[in-house]
Amino acid sequence: MLEARSDFPILKRLIHGHPLVFLDNAATTQKPQPVLNALLEFLTHSNANIHRGVYQLSEDASDAYEMARQAVADFIGVKDSRRVVFTRGTTESINLVAQSWLRPRLQAGDRIVLTEMEHHSNQIPWQLVAQERQAELDYVSITDSGELELNHLEQLLAQRPRLLAVTAVSNVLGTINPLETILDLAQRYEVPVMVDAAQAVGRIPLEDWAERCDFLAFSGHKLYGPTGIGVLCGRFQRLDEMSPWQGGGGMIAKVGRQSSSWAAIPARLEAGTPPIAEAVALKSAIEYVQQWGVSQIRQHEQELVAHALNRLAEEPDVTVYGPSQAAKRTGVVSFDLEGVHPHDVAQILDETGIAVRAGHHCTQVLHERLGVRATVRLSIALYNTLEEIDSAVSALANVRKVFS
Amino acid sequence: MSESLYRDILKDHMHHQRFAGRLEPADLKAVVHNPLCGDELELTIVLGGDPSEGAQRPIQEARNQVRACSICVASASLMGENIQGLSLEEANNLGTTFREAMETGELPDSPPEFLPPLMAIRKHKSRIRCAALAWNALEECTQQVTNPKSEG
Repeated sequence: MLEARSDFPILKRLIHGHPLVFLDNAATTQKPQPVLNALLEFLTHSNANIHRGVYQLSEDASDAYEMARQAVADFIGVKDSRRVVFTRGTTESINLVAQSWLRPRLQAGDRIVLTEMEHHSNQIPWQLVAQERQAELDYVSITDSGELELNHLEQLLAQRPRLLAVTAVSNVLGTINPLETILDLAQRYEVPVMVDAAQAVGRIPLEDWAERCDFLAFSGHKLYGPTGIGVLCGRFQRLDEMSPWQGGGGMIAKVGRQSSSWAAIPARLEAGTPPIAEAVALKSAIEYVQQWGVSQIRQHEQELVAHALNRLAEEPDVTVYGPSQAAKRTGVVSFDLEGVHPHDVAQILDETGIAVRAGHHCTQVLHERLGVRATVRLSIALYNTLEEIDSAVSALANVRKVFS
Repeated sequence: MSESLYRDILKDHMHHQRFAGRLEPADLKAVVHNPLCGDELELTIVLGGDPSEGAQRPIQEARNQVRACSICVASASLMGENIQGLSLEEANNLGTTFREAMETGELPDSPPEFLPPLMAIRKHKSRIRCAALAWNALEECTQQVTNPKSEG
C-alpha cells in the first residue's frame, strides 16, 4: 500500500522541519489527488445548481449529484438509492433522525438505549430529545477490555426501548462491535437501530448492515472525501414516515400560503442547495477506496495496529485502552503515558511533525468509564507505514525527557 | 530574557506548582473545565477586609486544585504567585491583561512578570485555552462578588 502515499500531496509537507506523520485519521483523513481533482474539476467545468434549471449545465450537475448518491448506495450495499440522504456529516445525519423521526414518536417514560462508547454525536442528539420529552437514556456497559456487554444490551433491549443507537466502531478504543449479533438481538425485541458508521466506512467491510439496520450514518471526510458531506441511509419506510426537519427549496411538492406538501424521499430531507461539489468528490473518494479495496485497507491497517500494540506493550509506563487483539479493532489506539498529560504528549510529538490527537475525543462518558480524563490517540489510514508507527512510539522518549 | 529561560520558568512552575490545593472554608470558589480535554481546575479564595468593600477586598489567600496539562498547571501556578495580596479587582485586571496579550501577541509596557513566559504559548493556539483556565476561574470568582445574582 506504500504506493498510495504519492496520491496524497499533503504527505510531502514538512512540519517544524520534519516530514508530516499524520496519525489523526480517526478525526479526518487526508485527501488523495483524484478527490482534489474531482472537486476542482466540478467547480471549474460543471458548476450549476441542481434540480432547478432546464439548461445543460444544471442537468449535468443534477446527474453528477444523483450519480454520487448511486455510488454511495452501491458502496454500502443498498439497492434503492432513494434511501441515501445527503447531509453535512454524521452529526447532522443523527440529529436528523433524532429530530425528525424519534422526537414525534417519543413519549414520557420511553427509553433510548446507547452504549458507554458512543461519540458525543451519537449521544447528545438523543439527550436533547429525551430531555424535552422526559424520556430516559440507558447505556450498555463495556467490559474492561473495551467491548460491549452483550448480556446487558439484551436486558436493556428487553425493556422495549424506542431506539438503540450504537456505533459500529469506537473512535477511541477501536473496538469493532459485533453488529451482526446486535442487529439479531434488536430484531428479536423489535427495536429500531441507528448505527454510527463514521469510523467503519472504508475501514472495515460493512457486510449487510445498511440493509439490516433502520438508520446508518457516516461522513465523507473520514473516507478520504471532503468535509461538509455526509450520509444518512435509512430503511425506506422509516425515511418516508419522517416529516421535514428543515424547510426550504428543493424539499417541496406544492407550496401554498398556509400549508404546503412535501417532495418524496430523499429530496424531502435535503432542504436548500446541497453540497454538490462535495457529493461529486465523495463519489471520487469511494472510487479511490474501491481501487484499493476495503479488505486490503483493513489488512494494512490491522498489520499497523498490531505493530503499534506490540511496540506500546514494550513501554512500561504506557497504558493502552481497548481490545488487546488487533483483529478486534480498527487502526485506532488510545493510550496514556504515566505522569504526562495527553496534551503535553501530543505537543512534543508535534515538534517532530507527528500529528496525534489528545483529549477526550468527544467521548466523556467513555473516559469516565475508563477512569481517565483524557488520552492520546493515534489512528491509522491506508497511507501510514510501519516506520511512522515506530517514529511515534520512539518519540515518547522525548516526551519523558521533557516532562520527567 | 531568552526563550529557553522562559521555558525553564514554565517547567519549574509545572513541576513545582505554587499555591496548589484548596482552601476550606473559602469565601469564593469556582470550578472550570477545558472543553477540549475535560481538564478541571478549582480555584478557592479567602478574602480579607470587609464584605462592604466588594471587589476591593484583598485576596488573603488563593489556591488552585488542578487536574490538567502542564501549561494549565504552570499558568495557575504563575497566577497564584501574582495575585496574593492584590484586591480581587486588581487580580482580575491582570486576567484581562493576560487575555489581551494572548489575543494580540503584544506585551503591554512594563508587563506583569508572569506574562512574558506565557507568550510562547501563542504559537500553539489551542493551548491558550489551557493557560486561560485559571484566569477564567478568577473571573468567575470576581463575578460572584460584583454580580452576585449571576453566580453559577
